[in-house]
Amino acid sequence: MASVADTRPTPRFVSPTASRELALIAAIFIVGTVFTLLSEHFLTVNNLVQTMRAGLELAIVSAGMTLVIIMGGIDVSVGGILAVSAIVIGKAYQAGLPVYLVTPLGLMAGTLLGAWNGFVTAKLKVPPIIATLGSMYIFSAIMFLVIGGAWIAGLPGTLSPLVNGWVGVVPASAIVIAAVYLVAWVLLRKLPFGSHVYAIGCDEQSARLVGINVDRTKIATYAFLGFLTGLAALLYVARLRNVEINIGTTVALEAIAATILGGTNIRGGVGSLLGTLLGVAFIRIMQNGLVLIGVSSLWETVIIGSLLIVVLTVDTLRNRNNPRAA
Amino acid sequence: MVFRMSGIVKRFGGLTALDRVDFEVAPAEVMALVGDNGAGKSTLIKTMSGAHAPDEGTIEMEGQEVRFRSPQEAWDRGIATIYQELALAGKMTVVDNIFLGREIRKPILGIPFLNRQAMRKRTGELLSQLDVHVPSIDAWVESMSGGQRQGVAIARALNMDARLIIMDEPTAALAVAEVRKVLDFITKLRAQGKSVVLISHNIQDVFEVSDRISVMRHGRCIAVRETKKTTPQEIIGLITGAHEVRAAAS
Repeated sequence: MASVADTRPTPRFVSPTASRELALIAAIFIVGTVFTLLSEHFLTVNNLVQTMRAGLELAIVSAGMTLVIIMGGIDVSVGGILAVSAIVIGKAYQAGLPVYLVTPLGLMAGTLLGAWNGFVTAKLKVPPIIATLGSMYIFSAIMFLVIGGAWIAGLPGTLSPLVNGWVGVVPASAIVIAAVYLVAWVLLRKLPFGSHVYAIGCDEQSARLVGINVDRTKIATYAFLGFLTGLAALLYVARLRNVEINIGTTVALEAIAATILGGTNIRGGVGSLLGTLLGVAFIRIMQNGLVLIGVSSLWETVIIGSLLIVVLTVDTLRNRNNPRAA
Repeated sequence: MVFRMSGIVKRFGGLTALDRVDFEVAPAEVMALVGDNGAGKSTLIKTMSGAHAPDEGTIEMEGQEVRFRSPQEAWDRGIATIYQELALAGKMTVVDNIFLGREIRKPILGIPFLNRQAMRKRTGELLSQLDVHVPSIDAWVESMSGGQRQGVAIARALNMDARLIIMDEPTAALAVAEVRKVLDFITKLRAQGKSVVLISHNIQDVFEVSDRISVMRHGRCIAVRETKKTTPQEIIGLITGAHEVRAAAS
């Protein structure tokens, strides 16, 4: 037992769930090796950069999802937020607005919709899965009402360099991901805000007792997820230069899957951004590799789904002797 | 008096949980609050700590009338409540817990960064002040024993500059050696000039550390005794209402 005066920091590069991050790195290494052996196209700069670009929006949304799930919440409506933000962006471009107005409009749309989810869960006390499910229906309806089943096409690619560009030898999309995760990490680990997010996820009642403004923190966290989803919408439009009718249908479940695979506890209180980023990488590498070796991408969903069940089962078994974790 | 409540009434629908309760605590005093289940102890401490607003009556803290709309306001006035469930975040470290909601900040360009170094230093001071031993201040609180967690919760109250510390059943569910430790914490708090309200079912603990004892029964504060001038028999009699039975019989 250490003496009370021993207040030196213990070195900790990752989260207390570091075992999960290490397991994911190992898993990525193993499937990477298998795909490399089975397909000559897998381990090429071009393929890997393409894979990262394909994971750009998911990575950004998942960063916000990690904060929400650590806080003990969940947001299944991010697909709807992505769609509505993309429509706002598309319509703004069509109205002839310049990019420096379209960008804040898109970010604002996402932030507002996220804040709405936070408001419903925090102030109206609706359980987050129900609140965001309701939002999902509403946002989808808005999308159909606005674009009526047609695509918004022929949008300008002003922001495309953020997705497809290079800064020296570094792909721009890598810089975007790094910047987003840096901001999220500072929020979560370096500011009081992050402590409050963890505390609410551990025990909301306790957090209230020590005077944390729980409602405001919740609204801010959902709004941050909305903001990142708005950013993802901007990059989506920049990448595809259109808004199609089935935009965002898979992003919510993929983001939740990546977050949980990355070690964030679905009950809140525990989680790390590095884990989530590795979870995103794993999901996208699986998708890419299976396509390259000619396996139906349906198998990828089967594999991800099975892994989620395994991961949650292992967590439950590990916590079974620990009543406080239940 | 550090703290005084006069004529406190609290009703829940048709039920009167607190019926004109008077209660006071002197500076550097350990005031025990005893009573059977349902006597109104929990409602009374929730009223003290700002979780409930009384329907009638006044509360004074350090001579000033106060009205708490939330536990936060009570904390701000120097009243810290350490609940049975402790209100610690199990999956956070000792440092994080002690400073939860009161983080030391080091603004850089207006952004309120956490000053971890200062928080760690202060945590070390607080823990040694109370003689709390924890495996590491970076360990998760849920990995610690009940007594260690009590110590962390008390250290947090000290950090918030609490002058009145309300402890709800602090020794329930603790091992014998740990009970000893928690009672030591209480005497240490008194030695530092803090006032303590100790809610306990354990009459032995109450007699060991308290200066005075308030007894609650049926939503009323029926008696206040100086610990030195009373006996466990008398207190148990007051709690169970044996004195009423004797009075009725005579």
